[in-house]
Amino acid sequence: MVRDEIPPGTLHLLILKTLARRDELHGYEIARTIQQNSEDVLQVEEGSLYPALQRMLVKGWVNAHWGATPENRRARYYRLTPAGRKQLEIELSQFRRVVGAITRVIQTA
Amino acid sequence: MKSLAEFARRVRMLLTREQFDREMDEEMRLHIELREKELREKELRANGLHETEHAENGLSAEEASMTARKNFGNTLALREASHDSWGWAWLEHLAQDLRFAFRMLAKNPGFTAVAVLTLALGIGANTAIFSVVYGALLQPLPYQDASRLGVLNETTPKVGTVSVSYPNFLDWRAQSHDFSQMAAVQDVGFNLAGVTQPENIRGEAVSPNFLSMMGVRPFLGRDFEASEEKPGTPPVVLLSYALWQSHMGGNRNAIGRTITLDGRSFTIIGVLPPNFRSLDRTDAMLPIGVWATNHSGEANDRGDRGDMVVIGKLARGVRFAQARVEMEGIAARLAKEYPASNDQFGVALQSIRDAFVSDARPAILVLFGAAMFVLLIACANVANLFLVRGAARTKEIALRMAFGASRSRVIRQMLTESFVLACLGGVLGLTLAIAGIRGIARLIQTDMLSGASVNLNGAVLLFAAGIIVLAAFIFGLAPAMHSTRPDVQSELKEGGRTASASAAQNKLRGALAIAEISLALILLVGAGLMMKSLYELMSVDPGFRPDRVLTMEMDLRTQQYFKDPAILNFWQQVLDRVRALPGVENAAVGTVVPLTGNHSRTDITIEGMALPKPGNYPHPDYHEASPGFISTLGIPLLRGRTFTAADRQGAPLVGMVNATLARQYWPNNDPIGKRFMFGHPDPTGKKPPKWITVVGVVGDTKLYGLANPSRLEVYVSALQYPDSDMNLVVKSRIAPAALISAIRGAVASIDKNQPIFAISTMNQLVSESVATRRITLVLLGLFSALALVLAAIGVYGVISYSVAQRTHEIGIRMALGAQHKDVLRMILRQGVKLAVAGVAIGVIASLGLMQLMSSLLFGVRPGDPLTFSGVAILLVFVALLACYIPARRALRADPMVALRYE
Repeated sequence: MVRDEIPPGTLHLLILKTLARRDELHGYEIARTIQQNSEDVLQVEEGSLYPALQRMLVKGWVNAHWGATPENRRARYYRLTPAGRKQLEIELSQFRRVVGAITRVIQTA
Repeated sequence: MKSLAEFARRVRMLLTREQFDREMDEEMRLHIELREKELREKELRANGLHETEHAENGLSAEEASMTARKNFGNTLALREASHDSWGWAWLEHLAQDLRFAFRMLAKNPGFTAVAVLTLALGIGANTAIFSVVYGALLQPLPYQDASRLGVLNETTPKVGTVSVSYPNFLDWRAQSHDFSQMAAVQDVGFNLAGVTQPENIRGEAVSPNFLSMMGVRPFLGRDFEASEEKPGTPPVVLLSYALWQSHMGGNRNAIGRTITLDGRSFTIIGVLPPNFRSLDRTDAMLPIGVWATNHSGEANDRGDRGDMVVIGKLARGVRFAQARVEMEGIAARLAKEYPASNDQFGVALQSIRDAFVSDARPAILVLFGAAMFVLLIACANVANLFLVRGAARTKEIALRMAFGASRSRVIRQMLTESFVLACLGGVLGLTLAIAGIRGIARLIQTDMLSGASVNLNGAVLLFAAGIIVLAAFIFGLAPAMHSTRPDVQSELKEGGRTASASAAQNKLRGALAIAEISLALILLVGAGLMMKSLYELMSVDPGFRPDRVLTMEMDLRTQQYFKDPAILNFWQQVLDRVRALPGVENAAVGTVVPLTGNHSRTDITIEGMALPKPGNYPHPDYHEASPGFISTLGIPLLRGRTFTAADRQGAPLVGMVNATLARQYWPNNDPIGKRFMFGHPDPTGKKPPKWITVVGVVGDTKLYGLANPSRLEVYVSALQYPDSDMNLVVKSRIAPAALISAIRGAVASIDKNQPIFAISTMNQLVSESVATRRITLVLLGLFSALALVLAAIGVYGVISYSVAQRTHEIGIRMALGAQHKDVLRMILRQGVKLAVAGVAIGVIASLGLMQLMSSLLFGVRPGDPLTFSGVAILLVFVALLACYIPARRALRADPMVALRYE
């Protein structure tokens, strides 16, 4: 099944939104959630998640701690910080602006 | 706030690298395993099978694992990318590069040693010279608003720059608007009854606003008050910090106590700060009112220009050029108003920085430029070394770039190597510089730079750091860029030999060698011209014979010497006792000794001459000399006789003139018997002129230095014109220094409180008078020798490498019948081409550059052909010598071996 790659620059947005919905997730769960919520359209090259998560850790948009999965495996759980929530708003509005503009361009027949 | 927290997070991460890697690995491993499990479960469900059963077609465990891993991506690269997100990539690259650089340098100890030593020489030379540049030219003076301070002198066309008279100063101050403040500074000296033996100390009598104008506050006690400008001021004094330490034990209670100067009590009102610097040595400072009290004649005589300069502070927004115009206008007005004293006197104004630096600036700049040349040559040598090594590393570099290293990354790494090398060279260079600075400081006499401190300070270290970085770029960038050129990639594909003999690289190395030779030539020409200048200067006849002549000064300042008989009696006793000492051939006293920098000048009137305008009278230097002065100094007597004991008070006034004066004023007659008088004749005719009869004509002496022309001189008998401030000159049969303590003893037996100062031999004075040129020659000679050696090494390196490359070719030639001399000629011809090109460029550059040195030269033109040709021949010879060694080596090779050489 061919999946579309996520547009460049939107990975942060997707991760932030995913974490906004759920309390805390570990990396694999984030990837799977994005895939599921997009109804299998979007394919994240899974490894690229991790540098992105690290970047968000640097900026302080997420916090991370080591916890246990239901199967009792050690996993790093990420959760959104207040700064992250603000960043999510910023990115959302920016995305909407861009998409709106693109839509307007392609609509003018 | 946000970025501070972010920075803190980043720092914390930096410290836990290993943990970070482990955790990332674990995190990514979990992800891959979970994905793997999901893939297998999906496959099993699709086939309706249970997990434990084995599917016939579909994903086995290994396939699922591989797929999951493939979809995940390169964990190593992802881990690196995650790491890089924390922003420390540059630091890690730097650490990597440094480690690699050190390893590379350690693997090639020979290369490293030569490069480090070469750089050390260049960096050390520059740092050492910069300490002088900074101390003399750049270091801020300890004054406030130093850029607005200027030094004013009077000028006369007869002499040039002279001192200022006090009444003129008062008018200048009153009339100038461009100067917001002015202060007079009068040189004074005192006899101080010392701790062990009496001393003569130097000082300045200043207008009360002097210190406040300069922004200097006394370290202890108080400054002068405005009222202390008037005559009648009670004697108060500010001590220098050093004098306070040595004579008052640094005791704070010294304030208010008295110090005995010239047998008089002066109240100590304060101490000058320890870093205080003035144009002349200042052991004590007094208000000008005290000086005016004791020298009322000089203070009120507009024509008496003793030893006073004026310091002025420009008003806000005024430039020196503007103030100069105003002062010249004031001087012109005064010349009209007081023609007798001021006719043709002008004003000279220079910034206080220029006054401090004066003649030393051209020499310092020349030496700084020379040191830079040495550094460039050193960098060229190291760049050559790098090029050679770069050629050998072409494969390694190509490999690295094939693995994905960007060109800029490789260049950065090579620059790091250069930088490490430059730092090592810099550290060694600094140790050389420390020794060099100490040596230079010893060469320079203290008064040459007016108290500038030449030492290794923060500014010098900063300069050294800058030089290190600059050098690293100069010798590192070009080879790095050259070795990483895109066509380097093709090296990998070529089997066997690397194309190290690329034409471009050879051309570059040849160009570097030519540049080195040019620079070395310029330096050698400069040194040669200086050497010739100094030789010419020392060949100048000083007008006297300095060998084994001792000179020292005594100033009779205490009350007992206020009358002439006491003065005459003292000098007579001194001469009698000193002449009686063993080893003394002759002794005499005189007011002026050549080359001491002390001058006394006055107008004279020649009997019978038409009275000129007040500013046009003959203005000779005058001496008051005792009998024997001329012969003790070895000044030739050309006509007539010198003074005798008969030329004393009551006898007719006699005088001697020098040859220049005789030639100028009695060109066709015998000067003997002619008469002159001091000053101008009284226009009212009430004061009868005191004519002095010329009894002898003596040779000219170079009073103003060997490089300066002789001026007019007259001598009068010290017995008829006694002076309390005289120099004792002693001609010795033995080494003069041995007599000093005996003379001290003799003087002490006459007056134990009389200090003796300015003790020197005439040979020392001659040598000191050319000190600037001499020091410049020493340092320039050292630098040019360095440059020559480095350039020779450079040529050797280039030829040696070229010969090694052509070993195969040489083998073929010799196998085909070439003789040794043919091969030799071939190699030497290459060297000669380099040398001639370098010499040609160097000569052209020198013709221009040597003009900059012209103020330092004497008796030799900047384009002196003898020097140029001599240096050119020397360089070509040295270059040939540098070629000879590799040539010899090539010839010794067995042709069969050379043929097989790949």
